[in-house]
Amino acid sequence: MDILVALENNSGSIHRMSLEALAAGQKLASEMNLSLSMLAMGKNGGDLAENAGKFNAEEVLLLENPLLDNYSSDGYSQAITSVLEQEKPRFVFMGHTYMVRDFLPRVSARLQIPFVSDVIQFRIDDGAPVFTKQVFNAKLGADIVSQSKGATLVSFQSAAYQSDQAEAGAAAIRSISIEMDSSAVKTQSEEPFKEEAGGVDLTNAEIIVSIGRGIGKEENIPIVNALVDALGAELGSSRPIVDSGWLEPSRQIGSSGQNVAPKLYLALGISGAIQHVVGMKGSKNIVAINKDSEAPIFEIADYGIVGDILEIIPKLSEAVQAAKN
Amino acid sequence: MKIGVLIKQVPGEESPLRVAPDQGWIDETSVNFETNESDSYALEEGLQIREKNGDGEVVVISMGPEGRTQKVIREALAKGADRSIHITEEGPPETDPLRTAGVFAKALQEEQFDLILSGLQSLDLGTGQTGVILGELLGMSSATLVMETEVGENSIRVKRELESGWFQWVTLPLPACLSIQSGINQPRYPSLKGIMGAKKKEIKPLPKAEIIESNVNQSITRVYSMQKAKQTEMITGDIDQQINRLVEAMRTEIKVL
Amino acid sequence: MSEREVLELDVLFVGAGPASLAGAIHLQSLLKESGQEASIAILEKAGEIGAHSLSGAIVDPRTLKELFPDFDQQNIPFESEVTEEHLYYLTRAKKFSFPFVPPPMSHHGCYITSLGKLTRWLGEKCENEGIDIFCGFPGTELLYEGDQVIGVRTGDRGIDKNGEQKSQYEAGAEIHAKVVILGEGTRGSLTKKLIQRHDLMNGKNPQVWAVGVKELWKMPTGSVQPGYVAHTMGFPLGHTIFGGAFLYGMQDDIWDLGLVVGLDYSNPAVDPHHELQLLKTHPWMKSVLDGGELISYGAKSLPEGGWFSIPKLTVNGAMLIGDSAGFMNGQRLKGIHLAMKSGMLAAETIVGALSENNFSDETLSDFEKKINSSWLRDELWKVRNFHQAFDHGLFGGLINAGMGLVTGGRGWGLKNRMSSESGHLRMEKGKIENRYNELSFDGKYLFDKVTDVYHSATAHEEDQIPHLHVRDSDVCITKCPEEFGNPCENFCPADVYEMVGEGETRKLQINFSNCVHCKTCDIIDPYQIIDWVPPEGGDGPAWVNL
Repeated sequence: MDILVALENNSGSIHRMSLEALAAGQKLASEMNLSLSMLAMGKNGGDLAENAGKFNAEEVLLLENPLLDNYSSDGYSQAITSVLEQEKPRFVFMGHTYMVRDFLPRVSARLQIPFVSDVIQFRIDDGAPVFTKQVFNAKLGADIVSQSKGATLVSFQSAAYQSDQAEAGAAAIRSISIEMDSSAVKTQSEEPFKEEAGGVDLTNAEIIVSIGRGIGKEENIPIVNALVDALGAELGSSRPIVDSGWLEPSRQIGSSGQNVAPKLYLALGISGAIQHVVGMKGSKNIVAINKDSEAPIFEIADYGIVGDILEIIPKLSEAVQAAKN
Repeated sequence: MKIGVLIKQVPGEESPLRVAPDQGWIDETSVNFETNESDSYALEEGLQIREKNGDGEVVVISMGPEGRTQKVIREALAKGADRSIHITEEGPPETDPLRTAGVFAKALQEEQFDLILSGLQSLDLGTGQTGVILGELLGMSSATLVMETEVGENSIRVKRELESGWFQWVTLPLPACLSIQSGINQPRYPSLKGIMGAKKKEIKPLPKAEIIESNVNQSITRVYSMQKAKQTEMITGDIDQQINRLVEAMRTEIKVL
Repeated sequence: MSEREVLELDVLFVGAGPASLAGAIHLQSLLKESGQEASIAILEKAGEIGAHSLSGAIVDPRTLKELFPDFDQQNIPFESEVTEEHLYYLTRAKKFSFPFVPPPMSHHGCYITSLGKLTRWLGEKCENEGIDIFCGFPGTELLYEGDQVIGVRTGDRGIDKNGEQKSQYEAGAEIHAKVVILGEGTRGSLTKKLIQRHDLMNGKNPQVWAVGVKELWKMPTGSVQPGYVAHTMGFPLGHTIFGGAFLYGMQDDIWDLGLVVGLDYSNPAVDPHHELQLLKTHPWMKSVLDGGELISYGAKSLPEGGWFSIPKLTVNGAMLIGDSAGFMNGQRLKGIHLAMKSGMLAAETIVGALSENNFSDETLSDFEKKINSSWLRDELWKVRNFHQAFDHGLFGGLINAGMGLVTGGRGWGLKNRMSSESGHLRMEKGKIENRYNELSFDGKYLFDKVTDVYHSATAHEEDQIPHLHVRDSDVCITKCPEEFGNPCENFCPADVYEMVGEGETRKLQINFSNCVHCKTCDIIDPYQIIDWVPPEGGDGPAWVNL
């Protein structure tokens, strides 16, 4: 097999980021005329495999083993290593999740094969894929090629590819098994739990609504909250808003604040000064609304509106709410 | 307890960066280098574990050219690390984490650390792999995104950060290799006496060239500025028209609705 | 962690600039020669040596040759010996060459240097000699026993913006020393306090300063000649604002471009950063910088007052050296060799004081005697009235300088000592004239302040009390707008000061995080209500080779 997409198990359904990896894998398969399979494992592996079977692929490998019912770094790295030794794929695609970061490097070590992580896109050059990732905190990009003598492990950044681009189809399920005894798993994990988060982490937000000086005064911020709620977004800001004490420091985006690359970044009343821009220019889509047609933010925006944000935001919130209903 | 801490020198967060003319890496002229942020947290965790334990040794290891590597090592020694190893590197930096970890594994094999701590990922490449690979090469147990540690008899219990605000405690046997998340503790400031004492502590040089294996498994072919050739669509019309177009774009093109 | 650390030392220098570094190295070598020992340390507010060092610079190697007799073997990291020098008079569109460079302004035999590189090199020498350099430790208070200075307290760390202790709070350390030497550089903050408390400016001309604003430009390979020197007068400053520009060719295809602006101008609208951008609109500058890229920006004030503005240099237990004392030759635009010489002479004094175990003013005042009988005095004496004459404009200043060559430095041909006035007093109420109507920033060649500041890699711990203390910010809303038009928005090269809000909510916002530690505000604020104090240790610019 050429491409193996290893699926992360979300209680039997396919994790969104695995679908994104699948979309990427299907794209590579079609561009280079390669075969693609998927791997389902973990608790409710059967359900996962069934769901996977509804997508276009050669087959879905189903690995069921009680030692893999719950995630462990030992278990999963052992399992993937064995699967790769058996099936010998050229590429292994996964989503760049915390889980993958936790165990996949160990597979890289065991098999002495490269793991190209956090990829945002790939293209074919000279008959081989060239992967792109962001470096220096998304300030720059880098092209990476693999010189692997075996497989190449690849993980994709959230929303690099679109989960709804994964092509539907039909894939047969094939059960596989590996040698693994209980001593392989040396760690003991307890039940996961939730905690009060301290300080907003904007880096995981899919949509960020960000305000700048154009908001005028602190009293206008609630207007923006309505839009934030309608979009299911997070609120961010440029530096002056935090300096004035209108928002807490963890909302600041920029060179001395958070560095974000969400799917959609709405820059409202933000001029686009360089210290702010370096913190968000990796965003996949940038919408800028500013009174000043010369504002530098328009240079990096995908969509721009020259206008008064105080007038536009309330109407936009309504329109968004309506579109969702 | 013997604790190793890996630290890396990276460009300061505030430093503007430019691509080198050959696009192989960044132009390092005028760039100020400092200790990678999550490595500072890893060092602090190592120092606190040694303090809680009552005894032990904290060794810092860093790979890089003269000058800036000495700077981050001295800072770590001033904060309380006991000794250090400087893997001296000349020429372009390593960008293949498998190779980098291989170098560290060779350099540290004989040390037989009980714990190796590293920052979650570095500000430059940000692969977040080197520590995990190193642990595997040295036959240590491993955990990433560690937010809290509790050392036991022959094991260590760590709190791992999961996605979306979830956490999980995991117990691992020693020796263990952990990658530490920023915010786990409050890194201390070096004291005057610490700075004075750092001068007397060992910095053992170890040339990378002497221990590196030859195979490169992945390489960076080009580094560049990510300015997309932006076609900005300026949405015109009256306010209602503008909003309609924007919502349409959000629905069909950006796909967030 | 909250107990104050106390350290006992013999000799403490404050500020790891060329004066202190040369002084410490010389002191250690003198002690070795005489078989004595003493503990020597240097405090530096920056996180590393050189991070807050900024100058042009062209260094006269005279002092380095004294400090290192094997100068030729030393590998001092100069950019280049000066290979070519020009003096230009610029108008808006043209450039006129002076047919020759007047000897005192000649830089022949001198070296273009990055002060950051030089101080780092000197710093290594210090460490090899067993001198401790404590980076990230600003000196914030002088410690006294009666009227004797007995040491320095360093800044507290981990105090939040409300003045509360954060969890990693650490009280500043107390360093006791037999003698404290202040080499804090231009407008030193401890220096300011020392001068005030002991009335050290009594009978002296007030000090006057200028601010140097500079940009480093990376050029295409082969387009910069290392060793090239050009100085200019005229555009953009004209005849009534003191100053001029410099352009030096460095290694690695870097142009070092700067503008020195006297901080004694009368028009409150003058903006040194904008003047530098104006300079770049000159066709000659455009052709020089064509194809290049901005890589670094910085600003720093410099003392221009000369010999008569140097304070009394010693008190019981303390001494002043370098720019803190005002050892700068404004005519030659060189101060580094003087700073280092003053450090060396201070070292010679200290050796004597150590052997007598006497650090009283009486003993330490030997320092002034040494200065008076050294070439340091000879050099500064010749240009003792240089800056004062520019009070009469550019031509007046030049004529005076010319005559001074003949008369050995007398002002206006005859006067031995010309008086001067504090720069901030010369700012005229109501005389606000906008000079920048035609200036527009494209972000690629001409930069607004915010973009330039980004290139100074300056950073400050956000959660701390702003280190710029404005003693009466009501003035900003009541008197200042009419009298001076809030000039802080103009004179600060780093966009620290901003008037925000309208009507009721209008107030002064201090973006202290942008501060590049140039001290311009402390110097030229017309009401003299701004006190610059060191922020938390390690904060500030992160210059590498300015």
